[in-house]
Amino acid sequence: MSDIAVSVNHVSKSFRLYHERNQTIKSAVMRGRRSVHEDFWALRDVSFDVPAGSTFGLIGSNGSGKSTLLKCLANIYYPNEGAITHFGRVAAMLEVGSGFHSELSGRENIFLNGSILGMSKKEITRKYEEIVDFSGVEKFIDQPVKNYSSGMYVRLGFAIAINVDPDILVVDEVLAVGDSEFQEKCFQKFVDFRRAGKTVILVSHSMETVKLMCDQAAWLSHGELMITGDAQPTIQAYQDSLGQG
Amino acid sequence: MRYLKEVFAARELLGNLVAREVKGKYSRTIFGQLWSLVNPLALMLIYTFVFGLIFRANPDPGDPSGLNVFALWLLCGLLPWIFFSSVVTVGAGSLVANAGLIQKVYFTRIVLPLSVVGSTAYNWLFEMFVLLVALLIAGAFVLPWIPLLLVVMIMLTVFSAGIALMLAIANVYFRDTQWFLSIALQIGMYLTPIIYPISLVEQASKDVGGLAGTPITLIDLYRLNPMDHFVTVFRQVLYDNRWPDGIEMLICLGWAVGAAVLGTIIFRRNEKNLAEAL
Repeated sequence: MSDIAVSVNHVSKSFRLYHERNQTIKSAVMRGRRSVHEDFWALRDVSFDVPAGSTFGLIGSNGSGKSTLLKCLANIYYPNEGAITHFGRVAAMLEVGSGFHSELSGRENIFLNGSILGMSKKEITRKYEEIVDFSGVEKFIDQPVKNYSSGMYVRLGFAIAINVDPDILVVDEVLAVGDSEFQEKCFQKFVDFRRAGKTVILVSHSMETVKLMCDQAAWLSHGELMITGDAQPTIQAYQDSLGQG
Repeated sequence: MRYLKEVFAARELLGNLVAREVKGKYSRTIFGQLWSLVNPLALMLIYTFVFGLIFRANPDPGDPSGLNVFALWLLCGLLPWIFFSSVVTVGAGSLVANAGLIQKVYFTRIVLPLSVVGSTAYNWLFEMFVLLVALLIAGAFVLPWIPLLLVVMIMLTVFSAGIALMLAIANVYFRDTQWFLSIALQIGMYLTPIIYPISLVEQASKDVGGLAGTPITLIDLYRLNPMDHFVTVFRQVLYDNRWPDGIEMLICLGWAVGAAVLGTIIFRRNEKNLAEAL
């Protein structure tokens, strides 16, 4: 196993802020090919390495570029400059239960969602019991998911995602799901993850969570990387800056 | 090549998405899969009444099958057309409809339009099976032609998939595409020899002669429509029960390969931008 799980190398990402956008053929024809926009740099020249086996927290205020970076890490956005190299299989949990089909049963959705997340049928069959067990919806597994309570829905989605069993797990603010008993279970799962030598990258606004779970952290502010390194000093620096501001 | 491998690796996902569409589509209906037949049957009744009985479009009897049933003749062209038009319509909207998924999960995006192709093809197979039974009952000796029919069906599927890939991308950038498309398909249906035989167009073309003093005739322009060739081949196999013209088969193959290659290239170029553009 290499020592680095993810290497983020001079990554910049810009979005176009359109003042007038050609989203209809009419406007494209009337104004020619030009649409008026300015570039907004959500990330500017960010570089850091995530050590393998660490739990890595991304912190920063709203609009600091955390989610953009997370989406780049999850291969949903592609950086304009620089590169992100993964060493291992990546699974992203940016929203649980996306891709559920409401008319299908829980069982069918496990197979559907599992394959969207990149699991093979064999893998899903092997982990099926574990997924159902973890979600705690055994009794309703053959019911269409549209009849699930929102808690059950989220728990099933989370159970599938966490069982993808990646080398690198990318998580957005999804820990705030379910009741406290379920959260405890999730937390335990992350601990198991780390013990198995897997890497977790997470975004959270709750400093408590980050303190509790992460050993490494990176602080982003306005798209630029402020500090990266051990979690404690990074969080401290971030909180100090809030105190001043 | 690598891209094809990636798509191949996603075949299980594709299968699951197709199953999702197929199972979801007619769930909680009493007639289930039978609904897939209702739309073509209703159109068949209307067109047979209007064009078969009132206007008396009189297609030549099947040669050598000897069939002379307007409704069956109509369906041999209508079912492929309905397949094409629904693949293209639903396929064009497939990326926009799954915007939430694209923005949250990474997977090979091409499976979204392709799953539409798959689930529509499933319904089409069912419809074609019923048509085959009807043709048999009417006395057509259609069984030996089934392998060739499958080849033609695959070509049309590939062609439709290619067009759907291009339009799916276009629709992400220009939402007008889907509205424009519904008009284009309506016009397209009347510009394809589905409800009238092509012999009428040939006649009209002869009467008009060269357009604007050029040797180009109406029929030359008319035959630029790829669906015209597909419908012709389908009729020759299903209704006439004979080998289709080699040249027609080649034209269909050309359109299918061309559309698929171009569609894949366009899709691949834009795939990475989808999450942002949506």
